[in-house]
Amino acid sequence: MSALLDARRIGMTFRNGDELTEVLKGVDLTLEPGELAALLGASGSGKSTLLSIVGLLLKPTAGTITIGGERVDGLSDVKRAEFRNQRLGFIFQFHHLLPDFTATENVAFPAAAPAGGISPVMRRRARDLLARVGLADRLDFPATRLSGGQKQRVAIARALMNKPELILADEPTGSLDRVAAEQVLDLMREVNREDKATFLICTHDEHVAARCTRRITLKDGSVETV
Amino acid sequence: MFAFTVARRYLFSNPAQTALLISGVTLGVMAFVFITALIGGLAIRLTDDVTANSAHISLEPETRIARVLPSPDAELESVAIISTFQRRQIRAWNSTVSLLRSIPSVSAISPQISGSAFLVKGESISPVAVTALDPAHIDAISSISTEIISGDASLGADGILIGSRLAENLGLSSGQPVLLRTDRGIDRLLIVRGVFQTGLQSLDERVAYLSIQTARPLFLLPEGITNIEIKLYDPDGAREIATFLHEATGLRATSWQEKNASLEGALVAQSQTGTLIQAFSLISVLIGIASALSLSANRRRGEIGIMRAFGVSSSFIAAVFVVQGLLIGMVGAGLGCVSGFTLCSWLETLTKPDGTMVLPIAPREGGYIAVFVLTTIGAVLASVIPAGTAARLDPLEAIQQ
Repeated sequence: MSALLDARRIGMTFRNGDELTEVLKGVDLTLEPGELAALLGASGSGKSTLLSIVGLLLKPTAGTITIGGERVDGLSDVKRAEFRNQRLGFIFQFHHLLPDFTATENVAFPAAAPAGGISPVMRRRARDLLARVGLADRLDFPATRLSGGQKQRVAIARALMNKPELILADEPTGSLDRVAAEQVLDLMREVNREDKATFLICTHDEHVAARCTRRITLKDGSVETV
Repeated sequence: MFAFTVARRYLFSNPAQTALLISGVTLGVMAFVFITALIGGLAIRLTDDVTANSAHISLEPETRIARVLPSPDAELESVAIISTFQRRQIRAWNSTVSLLRSIPSVSAISPQISGSAFLVKGESISPVAVTALDPAHIDAISSISTEIISGDASLGADGILIGSRLAENLGLSSGQPVLLRTDRGIDRLLIVRGVFQTGLQSLDERVAYLSIQTARPLFLLPEGITNIEIKLYDPDGAREIATFLHEATGLRATSWQEKNASLEGALVAQSQTGTLIQAFSLISVLIGIASALSLSANRRRGEIGIMRAFGVSSSFIAAVFVVQGLLIGMVGAGLGCVSGFTLCSWLETLTKPDGTMVLPIAPREGGYIAVFVLTTIGAVLASVIPAGTAARLDPLEAIQQ
């Protein structure tokens, strides 16, 4: 089976005036389809930076990235945006839902914006996804009227809207209480198991890592254990 | 268009702020409409005042100028002297009148004999400008008959109409005889048939009207006339038609604008001042829109960041803000035009005790299409800066904030 994600010798150096800070030092990272991988590391280890690079939100200063067999590190900004929209899903620590839209509209948004509107098919899929994450009774609720855990579940449904090959999650339970965090973790495991969706979850929480099928640890900008 | 839906949601998400923003645009457009209607009304009133009792175009023979004659001897110069006693006149005036009647924009024609004279009553003597015209069309240029305060406007063969100030100066009233002595040295006793009062001192004190037939022997013009006065349906077209008439007849054609160059200058200056005020009110409206949308873009950084993260194009983000500008501009401009027209229409009904308007406002001159188009385009342009800022937002930076 060919790797879904193949990142080679990823380097990232930030410049702050005359000062150069090397955050990633030649990181190699490979993910097979259907993996549920935890990216661990202490604060400042470079895990969020690596996740952003893999998610095409940040351009590395060195290395190559191949996702689903396509080299993506040299893509233009427009192509990167298209790639993120069509083939990647994102779950952030803070849900960042659009407060002026309902749960269904928020979920449908990644598909609706490029298409010019929410089609009946999109609306149906968004509702199905919300039902799947346990929010069948909140379909037309404004985002502002949902609890923190419900909002994060809407964010997960939104990440799944365009059937992405790779879902990148940055501390997805970081802002939730224990019960809500458990629900979100259960949900991600379920999606991984049933849809064979590939997850890369950036976390510093050992409890979250324990629920994943693979651990990748970063230390001082390099992969320490895989 | 999904950007339209998102823009509309953003505007409705904070109704009070949006209402305040649109109110600002409405007030700015109202100010524009008010100034435009006021300046337009003032120009109409001034033009009416000037042209109501005078011609829009005057046709006269060219002024005779003494010419320097060439001489074979370079040291000598000779000048052709033209008799000033010989009155300038339009001999073929009937053909000129026929030409004028064929021009659709001409509303009235008055062939006249104009000259200088004195009115003598006993010991009193007063200079007058005599205007001799066709008694059947006495009101063609000025509404003389409606201004009569004593007697009537029937000139007849020996009648004369004089202004109220002149009658007062000479102690005359209608029905009394008065001696007219022309600049040709010819005297004739006439009867004051009527006394008029226009309210314009220059007319009421210095002008007398005769029948053109009565004037012919008095000014030694058995066939010709001295000038043709013309009224147009549209006074603004006087300059162009005067040029045409000069070329067609060879006569000197003077438009009312040329006769009142200082008034025209004042109208232009007034219009330019109005344009400045209009520009400032529009600029303040546009700055308001730009700053409100910039604040909105800044407040929504997180949302914009997440949209960018899941691949929404920067052009879509920009379109959301441009559409907001468009909607604010269109709604504000529309409301401003309606409320501006309502305000101007109400002001138009306000009158002083003497029946004149408090403000010389012309609601129809409000420049509604111009202000609507300018405000809408301006609002879109004003939204370009916040739209660009939002579209260029780095998603990672916005999300992390």
